[in-house]
Amino acid sequence: MSPDADALVLARALETLETVILGKPAQIRLCLACLLARGHLLIEDVPGVGKTTLAHALAHVLGLAWQRVQFTSDLLPADIIGVSIFDRAQQRFNFRQGPIFTQLLLADEVNRASPRTQSALLEAMEERQVSADGTTYVLPEPFFVVATQNPREQLGTFALPESQLDRFLMRVTLGYPDAAHERALLRGGERRELLPHIGAALDAAGVLRVQRAVREVHVADALLDYAQSLIASTRERADLKLGLSPRAGQGLVRAAQAWAYLAGRRSVLPEDVQAVLPPLIAHRLERRDAEPHGPDPGLAAEIIRAVPLSP
Amino acid sequence: MSAAPDLRPRALAWSAAAFTGGVLLQADRLPLWATAVSLLAVAWRLAAERRRLWLPGTLQRALLALALAAVVLARFHTLNGLAAGTTLLMLMAALKLLETRGTRDERILVGAGLFLLLAACLDRQDLLRVPLYVAQTLLCCGALAGIAAPQLELLRALRLGGRALLLAVPLALVLFLFFPRFAGGFWAIPRGDAASTGLGDSMDPGSIMQLIANYDPAFRVRFHGAPPPRETLYWRGPVLHEFDGHAWRRGPERLRLRAPLEPLGAPVRYQVTLEPSQRRWWFALERPERAPAGRVFLTYDDQLVGTEPVAEPLSYEAVSYLRSRSPAPPPAQLREDLTPPPGNPRTRALAATLRERAPNDAALVAAALDYLRSGGFSYSLTPAPLSADAVDDLLFRTHEGFCGHYASAFVALMRAAQIPARVVTGYLGGEWNPIGSYLVVRQSDAHAWAEVWLAGSGWTRVDPTAVVAPERLHRGVLDLLPDAFPTRERLLHSPWLRALFAGWDAANSWWGTHVVKFSYEGQLDLLRRLGVRAPDAVDLGRAFIAGLLLWLLWLGLRITPRPRGVRPDALGRAYLRLCRALGRAGLTRAPHEGPLALAERCAIERPRLAPAVEGLLQRYAELRFGRGADDQAVRDFTRAVAQLSLGRWSGAFP
Repeated sequence: MSPDADALVLARALETLETVILGKPAQIRLCLACLLARGHLLIEDVPGVGKTTLAHALAHVLGLAWQRVQFTSDLLPADIIGVSIFDRAQQRFNFRQGPIFTQLLLADEVNRASPRTQSALLEAMEERQVSADGTTYVLPEPFFVVATQNPREQLGTFALPESQLDRFLMRVTLGYPDAAHERALLRGGERRELLPHIGAALDAAGVLRVQRAVREVHVADALLDYAQSLIASTRERADLKLGLSPRAGQGLVRAAQAWAYLAGRRSVLPEDVQAVLPPLIAHRLERRDAEPHGPDPGLAAEIIRAVPLSP
Repeated sequence: MSAAPDLRPRALAWSAAAFTGGVLLQADRLPLWATAVSLLAVAWRLAAERRRLWLPGTLQRALLALALAAVVLARFHTLNGLAAGTTLLMLMAALKLLETRGTRDERILVGAGLFLLLAACLDRQDLLRVPLYVAQTLLCCGALAGIAAPQLELLRALRLGGRALLLAVPLALVLFLFFPRFAGGFWAIPRGDAASTGLGDSMDPGSIMQLIANYDPAFRVRFHGAPPPRETLYWRGPVLHEFDGHAWRRGPERLRLRAPLEPLGAPVRYQVTLEPSQRRWWFALERPERAPAGRVFLTYDDQLVGTEPVAEPLSYEAVSYLRSRSPAPPPAQLREDLTPPPGNPRTRALAATLRERAPNDAALVAAALDYLRSGGFSYSLTPAPLSADAVDDLLFRTHEGFCGHYASAFVALMRAAQIPARVVTGYLGGEWNPIGSYLVVRQSDAHAWAEVWLAGSGWTRVDPTAVVAPERLHRGVLDLLPDAFPTRERLLHSPWLRALFAGWDAANSWWGTHVVKFSYEGQLDLLRRLGVRAPDAVDLGRAFIAGLLLWLLWLGLRITPRPRGVRPDALGRAYLRLCRALGRAGLTRAPHEGPLALAERCAIERPRLAPAVEGLLQRYAELRFGRGADDQAVRDFTRAVAQLSLGRWSGAFP
């Protein structure tokens, strides 16, 4: 299929997703852009707003094989990565792959697991490979992690440190639906039951093709100038604990490429950068005086307003 | 610095232009042949660059240099002094042009251009020349930019030079206001050939005539208070005592100071600004109370005589009494002014007759004036020539003349009648400048009158010309006898030209007193007005350093790299223009707003503009952020923006 056809298909996929997750078109689009930019996604919200449904729906629409792991405090790294089991018949260890060997891993309530397990997952996310018993196993392509976490629940959770949060390209918050959509939800019944009925818009090969096309979206020098001054401005601000990392900067451009692709453009515009900036900084930037992990919707707008766009 | 070979002629042209500008500034100061030689060298060098003409070698150049130096020496008899030195430098720089090879040589020539500018500034400081000086400064700065970066276009280089100059303006101001300028002739370079002008120390009947045809100002006067009536404005100059039958002279220099005056009436206070005359006369109204502060004496004959010739504009405060009684001098002094005229027998006879009839000296003076009034005398600037017995000729034969003739004849007659008398030369009246509220006294206001000693009232002014032509007291000579003057002076006389001249003279006078003659005293006065109590040279130095530091600070702030403060490229400029047009139409782009966001907002807030604007904004987004925009596309975009007409937002929504 040609890239244009892929774009059309994706547009249809977005429409389908919007019938499942009601009233959140911007968030859905951001999630999709995140995956197309080869980024991992963190969905953070209170329970019951459809985090898991969204993750399911994404996997479904993209036509990817997926696994779900419910993270708990007693989950061990091996429970995710897999274990080597001694085969008596063949007199050798066989590696039994864990749930991570899939194309889309849904890590539910990732902050409930112990730091050791968290770091094992996050390493895999970064390297796109796992090591067990001295052997390296390459993870499938494409490989995404969609993690969810509940910010309110503090008891018995291990908050992800900044270094690990940085590995998620975006953090998306869904929030409560508005009145009309809530009514539709109440009338419509369980949304997850709709999932089997929506067809896959793409398959794994298609996702890889789209990812390549996203990488081809043109990034002009003028745009890099703009992105750079945005990133620099976060580092110069005195009211932030930390600025954006170089990895976050790369992610910003990639995400903007994906956003532009979804909008059907062949080159990135400053508007694309501005659109993906809020979920990109949501889990990375924090004001010095803010309560931890509190949502700060005004910060992104502030940063954008502070950096003039040169003509 | 290595410039591409095809850029070399440009750098050469810049240096030649800067040098030529300097040469042209000297055109009316230095000998014409020197200007011609310099310009010839420029033409030669430029032609050689284009056509590969022959250029002189080292030996030829050395010989040329020696020859030109010899010519300068022969002409000026020195190589020193402003004129000779400048001529020599100009000629040598012209030779230098013939051997220019690299950037260094070209810079030297620009330096010569700047030096010639400096020399011109030292010599001539009229307001009229200021634009020329500014132009030459700009040319030299542009040339420096153009030589450093020959790829710059003409206007770009000039603009660059102009910007550098503008940055330096505050420094120039600080230097002008606060750099301590010590009294004395720091710039006193011998000038040599400056001719003296104005009244001399002798007067023959024709000498005043030369002055009367001269419209140049002699001095300007600012009265502190209401100006006195015009007919009382007798500006006293050289007093002449010795008569040889034809011409009057001041006589031998006598250092006698005047005794204090007995004033009758209120004093007149005023400030005089003399034009350079190369003579030692300072002028004051009759009669000065005392010598003004400065290097000047008040002599026994009520004349102000400076210790040195007036070579530069000079200002002084003076106090005079229009009515006063002078103290009686020693009889020996009075006798000097009794020497009767040689020859002139008929005058002596007339004097004897008058003496017989008059009961006293005052009556004799009145009788003599009556004789002039009723004797058929007339005022003329073209009188018949006089023979050796000049006084006899005037009184009994020609019956016509002007102030010089009548003053001379009257004093001779008085002396023949045994009344001490002397000729006073000076100026009468002046022209009031309503724009600057000051009086201009011109050479054409030159006048001569008589003074007689009368027991009881002391030295008394008698103006025989006023008897012959009473209107001379109220009007200038130009008014009185316009036909006697050449066309140029008559043209100057038309009312609107006169108003124009008054304005110009006021500007010139302001320039002269406030800029050219801004002195150490002026600097201290400025500090005083700025609130420094009892300022001195140290305060001036402090103010200068403070100003310098402020300027450096300002400069430092200016050249700090601003974040992305680079000048936008052609596409950016066109986009900014589009945004400005949108702003005028009521849609202002936020600094962070991208083109498509702006287009969206336009569609919502100003839907009427959207069709015209949306396409352009999208085009800009493609050109700026798309794959490589070619120049043609940018030009098309620029043209489209230029043709766009959105009108002005009247406030009506949408």
